[in-house]
Amino acid sequence: MSQLKNPAGAAVQSAVLSRVLSSLGGMVTEFEEQNPRRGWVRIDPARVREMARLMTDEQGARLATATGIEVRDGIDVLYHWALDAEQYVVTVKALAARPSLQIDSVGQDLPAALWIEREMHDLLGAEFRGHPDMRRLILADDWPEGVYPLRRGFKVPKTDPAGGRERKKWAGAPRPPAGPSASQPRGTRPGRTLINIGPFHPLQEEMEFFQLYCEGETVVDMDVRLSYNHRGVEELSTRLTWDQVPFLVERVCGICSHSHPWAYVNAVESLAGIQAPPRAQYIRTIVAELERLHSHMLWVGLAGHFLGYNTVWMWAWKYREPIMDILEQVTGSRIHYACVRVGGVRRDIAPDMYPAIRKAVDSIKKPMEMLTKAVLDDPVLHARLKGVGVLTKEDARRWGVTGPTARGSGLAIDVRRDDPHGAYDEVEWKVITQEEGDVFAKAVVRCLECFEAVKIIEQCLEKMPGGPIAVDVRQVPPGEGCGHYEAPRGETFHYVRSDGGAGPVRHKIRAPSYVNIPSFRASCIGQTVTDVSIILAAVDPCYSCTERLARVYDASTRRPLYGMDELLRLSRAKTERLKKEV
Amino acid sequence: MGWKTWGLKRSPWVYHVNVGACNNCDIEILELLTPRYDVERFGIVLVGSPRHADALLVTGICTRQAEPRLRAVYEQTPKPCVVFLIGACACTGGIFRHGYGMARPADEAIREIDPGAIIAYVPGCPPKPEAMIVGAVKALAAL
Repeated sequence: MSQLKNPAGAAVQSAVLSRVLSSLGGMVTEFEEQNPRRGWVRIDPARVREMARLMTDEQGARLATATGIEVRDGIDVLYHWALDAEQYVVTVKALAARPSLQIDSVGQDLPAALWIEREMHDLLGAEFRGHPDMRRLILADDWPEGVYPLRRGFKVPKTDPAGGRERKKWAGAPRPPAGPSASQPRGTRPGRTLINIGPFHPLQEEMEFFQLYCEGETVVDMDVRLSYNHRGVEELSTRLTWDQVPFLVERVCGICSHSHPWAYVNAVESLAGIQAPPRAQYIRTIVAELERLHSHMLWVGLAGHFLGYNTVWMWAWKYREPIMDILEQVTGSRIHYACVRVGGVRRDIAPDMYPAIRKAVDSIKKPMEMLTKAVLDDPVLHARLKGVGVLTKEDARRWGVTGPTARGSGLAIDVRRDDPHGAYDEVEWKVITQEEGDVFAKAVVRCLECFEAVKIIEQCLEKMPGGPIAVDVRQVPPGEGCGHYEAPRGETFHYVRSDGGAGPVRHKIRAPSYVNIPSFRASCIGQTVTDVSIILAAVDPCYSCTERLARVYDASTRRPLYGMDELLRLSRAKTERLKKEV
Repeated sequence: MGWKTWGLKRSPWVYHVNVGACNNCDIEILELLTPRYDVERFGIVLVGSPRHADALLVTGICTRQAEPRLRAVYEQTPKPCVVFLIGACACTGGIFRHGYGMARPADEAIREIDPGAIIAYVPGCPPKPEAMIVGAVKALAAL
């Protein structure tokens, strides 16, 4: 479907799409209505910045992500806009034509596009005119310049056991600057301290590399380097068949291992026009909500751990165990569920298992109430979390954040409601939001969402329809589709493109943390170093930084300025002050 | 058995090295510390620095960016130490082994700098916490 079906000016069924088209006006060259919730538009590539401004300001759309695809004439850049209130996803295409492969950067106006444009530059070699920061984002430091893994004809270089042939060949190859790196800190100046955190850090589960620029105790700028965990899933996916891909994408992230495959099958089902049978939808919903329960409880525990409140960690993980057990009974594994497939689910839930699920879900209600109270009513946690790391509603919108991060900032977006699928439109539940935007608000959202998840599971078991659990899918026709799902951390967005063959020819995956992590620049700057740990953790990427004590010397006399007694006195005074505030 | 090995077998302190995992093996490792499995009973403690560790728990496929860092961590660990490769990815590359992100298997990366490294493999995707405990018991018994 590189050729869209309708020329500009043809009749439009959907009111949303016709509004978008009239807003974009003359720049539209063709469009297509795929189904009542998906539209595709191609525009004049010279006017992408204007398009982005119209979509955000006039239409109130959220940039979910962008996909780059190599086509004959250049690189097609697909901007996926989610119109959450109207339950619509419209994809705007613009071509970065050969030979320059240049297109205007949307990121210079809309921060939500900053990372994805850097990524397209890394993986496909598209050039974004006016992008403020084109440093390497996700390819490794030793990756040579000019090798683009998502271009046609890319072959994975072979390594040999004795250190890698191609490693030696690549050793002298020119490389673009990767950012940030210890050798090229930016913006250091007298009075500004650079604190490197990572790639390995005691409280980080994963490798991330943060650089905090501090003046005194205050963080004035920060930077992050990805790539440590870059496994190349999008490229691997194009070598698998439609039915194999779910096994791969559930290993994108182990804690969202039901959400990714579900978003993927949503995309494929939207492409092929398949409807999974009702029983499959209910089973998907139950497993997804069980996953949400385990993930949120995991976060509550880890957040406690980061704050030095290990009791909460141990409690939360203890009470999470019945959920893990029931997931193992239902799907066969504690974590990788292999539940969804294109057209339905792989395994049925036998009716004699319902009571066990009810019991497990019931068993966490009380502990969850206790944990919620322990969080909500604890004056120490109030002092530690309230007003810390505020992400305003406006910033949340501009950075395009999703999930509890957005809902904690008062943005009522939730894919389960805004693009209903599964059983979500047939059961009663509500979207939890908090207005404050601080860490405390995000914690409250997650705690309260656990109760909604319990409600959803109970109603699904109540209403579970009979019938088949999957439809037979013989072939996926040529075309493209996008699907998304509300993972515990936020919206996960998948785009697939088919040429009618055995597997996808392009598969774009955008995980929720990809849009949530860059918002650190909005929420961390101006905070103290000690608070940054929990602000970063509030987004749920699992990371923290320890407090450091620096000795301060007088520059002229080299005598220490603060001795032990002085520091003790200062900290006692601060504790007194905090006690009064609490 | 030298006194160093004898010491290694009692209450091993572990350091967790994620070199490109999907987070699953990692949460199962943390699971080991929490009340149901509670390996601290046996003196197994997760420590914050490889310099304090007797064992490394390596998860993930050893990505291009992570490989030099893995070797640096191994070099910082006091010897003798046991390297546990946890999960299919660390053992073989798993589902990602044909991807461009994988540098090479983690055991190769470690053997390059220390051919005599003690490496234990705990396969599974992810291995259950029980499997990790069994792996630890077998590896320590074999020393």
